[in-house]
Amino acid sequence: MYLFANATIYIGLAIAIYSLLIMTLGISTKNQKLVNSGKGGALALFICAGLAMLSLFYLLGTSQFKYEYVRDYTSSELPVIYKLTALWAGNAGSLLLWTFFLTLYMIMIIYSRKMKGNPMIPYIISILMANAIFFFFILGFVAKPFLLLDQIPTEGKGLNPMLQNPGMIIHPVTLYLGYVGLSVPFAFAMAALIMKNMDDFWIKMTRRWTIIAWLFLSLGNIFGGQWAYVELGWGGYWAWDPVENASFMPWLTATAFLHSVMIQERKNMLKVWNISLIIISYALTLFGTFLVRSGVLTSVHAFANSNLGLYFLIFMGFAVIASLYVLMSRYNLIKRSAGEFTSFVSKESSFLINNLLLVGAAFAVFWGTIFPLVSEAVRGTKVTVGTPFFNKVEAPILLSMMFVMAVCPLLAWQRSTIKNLKKNFLLPAIVAVIAMILMVVLGMTKAWAVIGYGVIALLLVTHFLEFYRGVKARRKMTKENPMLALYHLMVKNRRRYGGYLVHLGIACITMGIIGSQNYDAQTMKTIELGKSIEINNYRINYDKLDQKKEGINDIVYAQVTVFRDGKRLGTYEPEKVFYGHWDQPSSEVAILSSFKEDLYIVLSAWEDDGRATFIVKVNPMMSWLWIGSFMIVIGSLFAVWNGRYQNVTPKYTGVRREVI
Amino acid sequence: MKNKFMVSLLVLLVAFQWPFVRTEARQIDYKSPEFRAVASQFACTCGCGQDHFECDPNTCNLTKEFKKDLVGMMNKGMNKDQIRDYYVKIYGEEILTAPEKSGFSLAAWILPFAALAAAAVGIYFIIRKWVRQKGETEHSAEDVDNGDEVEGEILSSIIDEERKKYL
Repeated sequence: MYLFANATIYIGLAIAIYSLLIMTLGISTKNQKLVNSGKGGALALFICAGLAMLSLFYLLGTSQFKYEYVRDYTSSELPVIYKLTALWAGNAGSLLLWTFFLTLYMIMIIYSRKMKGNPMIPYIISILMANAIFFFFILGFVAKPFLLLDQIPTEGKGLNPMLQNPGMIIHPVTLYLGYVGLSVPFAFAMAALIMKNMDDFWIKMTRRWTIIAWLFLSLGNIFGGQWAYVELGWGGYWAWDPVENASFMPWLTATAFLHSVMIQERKNMLKVWNISLIIISYALTLFGTFLVRSGVLTSVHAFANSNLGLYFLIFMGFAVIASLYVLMSRYNLIKRSAGEFTSFVSKESSFLINNLLLVGAAFAVFWGTIFPLVSEAVRGTKVTVGTPFFNKVEAPILLSMMFVMAVCPLLAWQRSTIKNLKKNFLLPAIVAVIAMILMVVLGMTKAWAVIGYGVIALLLVTHFLEFYRGVKARRKMTKENPMLALYHLMVKNRRRYGGYLVHLGIACITMGIIGSQNYDAQTMKTIELGKSIEINNYRINYDKLDQKKEGINDIVYAQVTVFRDGKRLGTYEPEKVFYGHWDQPSSEVAILSSFKEDLYIVLSAWEDDGRATFIVKVNPMMSWLWIGSFMIVIGSLFAVWNGRYQNVTPKYTGVRREVI
Repeated sequence: MKNKFMVSLLVLLVAFQWPFVRTEARQIDYKSPEFRAVASQFACTCGCGQDHFECDPNTCNLTKEFKKDLVGMMNKGMNKDQIRDYYVKIYGEEILTAPEKSGFSLAAWILPFAALAAAAVGIYFIIRKWVRQKGETEHSAEDVDNGDEVEGEILSSIIDEERKKYL
């Protein structure tokens, strides 16, 4: 097994090098046979990565502790599902997963129906192959997943209990799919530049792939937040930790690209900017990995400090310099077709402002993340840049972004006249102002919250109007019933209405963030058995303290009965779990969720006399965060789903005959 | 003399015990907004990545002691700025959860907004340039565009017909 598993890595590396060389040779000599050989190499590479994954799954599943990785992240009592998902608990395994996804994307591109006969394929695969060489090299020589121990231990160290949660099964997978996914648009962009073929096709395909990567990146962050909320017993979902920032930055720049690319599609402008955004997004995925795996920054996401980060830094430097070289060498070609704007007030301008704010937000996150290093380098003093900094700096930028998101749909392409603005914005503005006045009258005094909810009200009305007017216009022509008209309107223009659904999802998430950040209430109390804790309109009766055993874990739990406004809501059991293979206990919180708020109960500590300490929180509007997240997924899928009309991506006809 | 000494000792004891007596007298909820304002300024160094408001005193001894000290200072009447200054003097800026808004650390706060403002100005000039370019091209094409209105109506009716085919 040892030989087989390691062979998958080293043979994979050899195949990757061969494929890149043969593909490059095939491209330069226009020899289809060589290119086909390279494509075969990509398939073989996928099989190698797949077999390596299966090998590690097998070793983890059968608890073969003679392997360092299995010993470090599993134990024999661990449920099988967590034994298997321990594959991405450490550096080597998660990089193997990354590599597998990379080869998977390669195969998807080669065998995609849409890409059939496309001369870009050899170029795209070559670029991805260069990435694959890097990852196979890392797996073969730096972070080895199949390392044998000198002595066979009887038991493994076990998996960090924090990672034993359904959210943690899916969070890294989606995040890596997003990270690796961003290398696909990068490869498309580079291929288009190298081929000097900046037509409509590549940008449409790139956009499609970027949405897919963006969706996975969003999902990764959402699942991460959800996991933190239910598992860490802290009641929060985002801590602005360097690892979180590392995934948020490419998300912001990819979002910027998804918007600015519309200007390129419509007006053939911003080509250099769009390619720059793709390069930046790709580079940020590598930079994030460098940051969190090099140990230069402290992160709660406990990746072992190693020299792995340095390799990522070198590779990132190489990728950025090479891509900038390609961009500069084609600069005159893509600069040539620059167009014009008709007016200052137009959808085009709003997209530029949108890009300014998104890239500005990404820069602020970047700056805050690296500032401890900057400060130490410049004046020798370490500083901590934590939540208060990011909240204060990001809040105004992202709120402005929400405002642009609210007004953009109703701005006309080319030029918005005063008449047009009045017609489109009078009603939404009135509704937003009335909403804000109502909030103040009802007792909301925090300015940021009132402004934030006002902007959300504006966004909801402008988006409703977009749907309403679309349906109305359609019904005028087709006389369909409203629901059918809405359905046809949306499926005929998937990207646009999918995008609007995503906007509505972001609005819901913002509602949740503003509510939970500004109006949360919490208390920490030590009470005797039979006594209660009161918070807002809740009463929590402490009924019982007991312990039980689950496998090798000991669980101490409290039984509490919760009342709201005197009405009994039920009995709940917040727990503290002590693990057989882990020193640190973890909290299993009790959460009572509703559209209005979450009641969050943590059993913090207890005494021999039965007294127990609880942390109780009321987090308003938390459900909206998850509802919004769901809408983002629905909207993104709706936008990329082809449907029966096949109208999203044109079949490639090609400008000249090349190897394919 | 002995009595005098005992009275002095008693006075001293009372004087030194006074803050502790007050600490006992005033319970501060570790999750209250009042305590949050003070404790969330300081980063816990136990490796949890949280501040001293969030870090659980039942699992982290470091924050347990730190929280006690904070409560002591709050009970002495120190406000959050005084408490911050006290700790910064001892541990340096590193103990804070966000950089100071002075000296070199001010750059952390200012640079993102300065960069945004500079980019906004740049975008303004770029849009102005593009709009002017368009204006010039439109101006030269104006005569051609002032065509027949009837032609325009025919054109829009053709477009309408075409659109219906795709609905």
